[in-house]
Amino acid sequence: MSVRDLLSPFSAWKNVLRDPVTIADPLNRDAAPRYRGFHQNDIAKCIGCGTCETICQNGAIDMLPVDSVATKIGDSGLRPRIDYGRCCWCALCVDICMTGSLTMSNEYKWVDPNPDNFRFTPGIDRKSWDSAELGYQRPEQHRLTETKRIAMQELEADERIDNFAEIVAGYTVAEAKLEADRCVSCGICVATCPTHMAIPEYIAAVRDGDYERGLKILYETNPFSQVCGRVCTRKCETSCASRHEGDAIAIRWLKRHITDQVPYERYREIVGDPLPPTGKKVAIIGAGPAGLTAAFDLARLGHQVTVFEAKGAGGGMTRYGIPEYRLPYEALDRDINLILSMGVEIHYNCRIGVDRTMDSLQQDHDAVVLAIGLQQGRQTRIPQSNHERVYRAVDLLHKITANEPFELPHCAVVIGGGNVAMDIARSLARMQKQQYGVVNITVTALEEQQHFMADADEIKEALEEGVLIRDRCGPQGCEVDTGGKLIGLKTWRVVSIFDEERRFAPKYDEQDEVVHACDTVIEAIGQFSDNSLLGELLTETLEWDRGRLKIDAAGRTSEPWLWSAGDCVKGPDVVSAVADGHRVAASIHQKLQEEDR
Amino acid sequence: MQALYHRLKALFPLGELTEQRENLVFVTVDAAHLRSLLLQLRDIEGFTHLVLLTAVDWIETGEFQLTYLLGNRAKRQDIGVRVMLSREQATMATIHDLWPTAATYQRELREMFGIDFPQSPGVNEEFILEGWNDIPPYRRDFNTLDYAEATYNDRPGRESRDPATYMREKLYGEGH
Amino acid sequence: MAYQPDRSQYPQRRPDGTLDIDLTSGKYLKLWQGPQHPGITGNMSVELTVCGDEVVAGKTHVGYLHRGFEKLMERRTFIQCFPIVCRICVPEPDFNEYCYAAAVEELAGITSPERANWIRTLILEMGRINSYMMYLGGQAGSLGQGVIGQWTTYARDLMLDRFEELTGARIYHMFILPGGVRDGLPEGFKQRMEETLKEIESILKDVYNVMYCNAVFKKRTVGIGYIDPQLLDSYGITGPTARAAGVAKDVRRDQPYLVYDQLDFEPITGKDSDIYTRADVRRRDLLMSVDLIRQILAKMPDSGELMAKLPNVLHWQIPRGETYIRGECSRGEYGYYLVTDGSGYPRRVNVRGPSYTHAVALLERLIVNINIADVAALMVSLHTYPPEIER
Repeated sequence: MSVRDLLSPFSAWKNVLRDPVTIADPLNRDAAPRYRGFHQNDIAKCIGCGTCETICQNGAIDMLPVDSVATKIGDSGLRPRIDYGRCCWCALCVDICMTGSLTMSNEYKWVDPNPDNFRFTPGIDRKSWDSAELGYQRPEQHRLTETKRIAMQELEADERIDNFAEIVAGYTVAEAKLEADRCVSCGICVATCPTHMAIPEYIAAVRDGDYERGLKILYETNPFSQVCGRVCTRKCETSCASRHEGDAIAIRWLKRHITDQVPYERYREIVGDPLPPTGKKVAIIGAGPAGLTAAFDLARLGHQVTVFEAKGAGGGMTRYGIPEYRLPYEALDRDINLILSMGVEIHYNCRIGVDRTMDSLQQDHDAVVLAIGLQQGRQTRIPQSNHERVYRAVDLLHKITANEPFELPHCAVVIGGGNVAMDIARSLARMQKQQYGVVNITVTALEEQQHFMADADEIKEALEEGVLIRDRCGPQGCEVDTGGKLIGLKTWRVVSIFDEERRFAPKYDEQDEVVHACDTVIEAIGQFSDNSLLGELLTETLEWDRGRLKIDAAGRTSEPWLWSAGDCVKGPDVVSAVADGHRVAASIHQKLQEEDR
Repeated sequence: MQALYHRLKALFPLGELTEQRENLVFVTVDAAHLRSLLLQLRDIEGFTHLVLLTAVDWIETGEFQLTYLLGNRAKRQDIGVRVMLSREQATMATIHDLWPTAATYQRELREMFGIDFPQSPGVNEEFILEGWNDIPPYRRDFNTLDYAEATYNDRPGRESRDPATYMREKLYGEGH
Repeated sequence: MAYQPDRSQYPQRRPDGTLDIDLTSGKYLKLWQGPQHPGITGNMSVELTVCGDEVVAGKTHVGYLHRGFEKLMERRTFIQCFPIVCRICVPEPDFNEYCYAAAVEELAGITSPERANWIRTLILEMGRINSYMMYLGGQAGSLGQGVIGQWTTYARDLMLDRFEELTGARIYHMFILPGGVRDGLPEGFKQRMEETLKEIESILKDVYNVMYCNAVFKKRTVGIGYIDPQLLDSYGITGPTARAAGVAKDVRRDQPYLVYDQLDFEPITGKDSDIYTRADVRRRDLLMSVDLIRQILAKMPDSGELMAKLPNVLHWQIPRGETYIRGECSRGEYGYYLVTDGSGYPRRVNVRGPSYTHAVALLERLIVNINIADVAALMVSLHTYPPEIER
């Protein structure tokens, strides 16, 4: 104790001469730029995936329909409503938001006499802070989910160009787990999948390493899981929540991974036995994905199913259209054999209209399904295109699969920019490499390359394999020399493809003419269905819709015993054909049950 | 800390050593040897600081794990001593005479897990809870969500929709 | 001549060790201090038995703030626990965030990036300053010096501004999450922080002159609330309370975590182990934090990763394991004992707050024989925050 201790405290009096430090107007104090204040939601960006609700540990977020947002593919139409009686402003919802639509303003004052008003839907219920620029937004580097897809191991161009070995290796268990881990299980993709596979559930099975559970889930909705695991058009991935701020989940590869991991011997037991026989008989024409899916469903329900296939093996376009390097025949055979193991009888090389008539099928069966696909290639009908060295892509692909001989071109030009064009170009490229040592294939199409119908991967890989691509080329005629030999394809430069009403009406620059030298021209501009098997009488009786058989939503034709499914009525797509197969099977089953009552 | 383990192992029937990190290990010992092991650690090995005493409910195997975490400041080491007790007869000898502060931990364990420490001062007095008549709340079989739902009322007006289910209803499901 | 209690008035012990207090005798009186009382830090209460104005027994009662965090965390995913842990200690929440994050990282095999560790250290030191500011106001207030609290609240408010611009929140920062930290320093932060530190130093000078160099304060604190250094281990005493007893216990030095091994400092100690010494150790420790923040801002990298790669937090599972992570908070050793069982949820979380031992077993011992008027000063000198007792 000292004199200082007695006097020093009086120094507090100096504050009398100081200005106060209190903030004079605390109500108008702006919060810091990163302040975690009231929520904002960019409604146009939000897809209603509900990941914010999932992560909210307070249970403050509900996903609810709002009037101004419609449910559509890739958008649930739900929007998050936040209960400020529960929110703790931790911003995990902002951090996890898959689209970056959810942010926080730096506004923090809100006075309201009605407590229920503090439950609001940001972006829908207008608030003064909706357009505030400052506030918490997820920092660029701060991500709670992985945005990059796990790369797939694939054969390099030089490893794959001289053979038909499968290009894609398939994920390893570790890779698949990492990829499956990226999925937020929102389920937005399920609506997009034509057959509505339980995607989040089977991805969860990959995460858990429970492949048998995963397989069971797959075959509930898709008996062509090995096929779709490789060549599905994967519409699901276009509506994946992860694609908004990163790569979509590799849903297709994860599906394939499950089928890779379960030993094939286990499949039958996991998928399970069919129900007891009902005594009902169903005939299915065409052993493609649609026909065999219907066969699978109906056989599992206990009906006696017989499939009639014109070709020597099942699979339809998946066998005779898709090249082996994309879909090995063994994978296809495994799916088909599983379907047949349900008690499905199949007659190969049996052409309806020739070997058996539709009448006899109708008499012997309770229901008949027409699932004949699109076997015939469309023709350009340009001058000289009836030359013997002008082929349809589907015909050539069939020859390659069936091992039928044809003269391998030294130099070929393909017309068309879709996946079939790429398939034939890349198949021929492989054969040229094997037989001639050099690849000499040109693909020409009307569109600009970035607008080709073909998958970007297909185009990239075709280029890597030495295929030339000439875009914006309109075919005008085949060039034939005096000896009658095909020497080239003449094209004009495309100025525009559609007219003002978006109708197909290509315009050309006639001055910009190119002759692509070649000994073979291949048309890959689409396919159509050959309905001659129906016979004249039935064709007359049935109702048609612009050249296609008219069917209702369940696949019923105008004849009560006849259904139709797949590419022949819905256009080309494997997974859509599978979905269609399910649809007609359900409709037939319902009909057969009604008959029993 | 291997050396320490071997020294202790020579004196007590210890379980496997879990080396969590360079300066933190866990060992398991039976209840009968706990006291002498703690004394050895405190008085001979220099682990004088009782960092914490708590329990983990391994309901699947019907056991409580008591964790006595001791620190040796000079050597910058920590050792967690685990004792497994049967959930059915959850009683353990008190150590409040070794560390007076242990009485607080034991009182809390009695209240929250129902583990008894006979002779520990005030062990049966309420510590945090007041008028609690349910099972001890930190046991795994006490369900906080059920308790909250039975005890408190949610504000009305809450509902939520699952995106995938909602999309099925709207876009492709039954009756669509 | 110091006050000498009349020992003859004191209760005898019964054979079972409890005090033989007969309230009907008129010799003793029960007095509740708290749970709402200006001399109590937060919501707890001390049940005093007094004889005259002398405390003969004290008993700590807690439970007013029990929210069952440890249990709640058992039904939240690892990321979902992150927003709730900070609520276990209001004035210095960041240790919860750090200890929890570090425990999860250790069991999950994740290393937080170097730059994130610097920012974490910065935040912990900023939090320490805030906590001490609160303590200073409380310690002075417990002895009737209300003005100190006004000054330190102002200083704390300045630091809250820095917290707000760095973390996006003033009280519950929710900035240190498993894997790293949310963001880097905002533009101009270092300069504004330096201004804040200067202001804090200036305020602390005033506090020193008015509170510490003060005959009344000294009279009421020197020699009061003495803690025998022998008690440190048996009562689990850590932090400034231990250092005031002459033992340089400081986790930052004893088991350096984050970047403390790259900072230049020595634990602050005192020797008299009374209320005054503890107050002085805390004041000097606060000044050391000011210095540490300056060191951190000067040495920390301005670029680099802020978050380690996490698995998808929605499905995050951590293999079975257990660990204990500790840090030196303003009151002593703060720690998280985390047990995982391979699922997506913690099996058990146990929070070890220094107040758990300080405010119960230790306080009940120290409180005997002191004057009723000194109870508040004694309590505050142990710097206790009730929520970390009951969690």
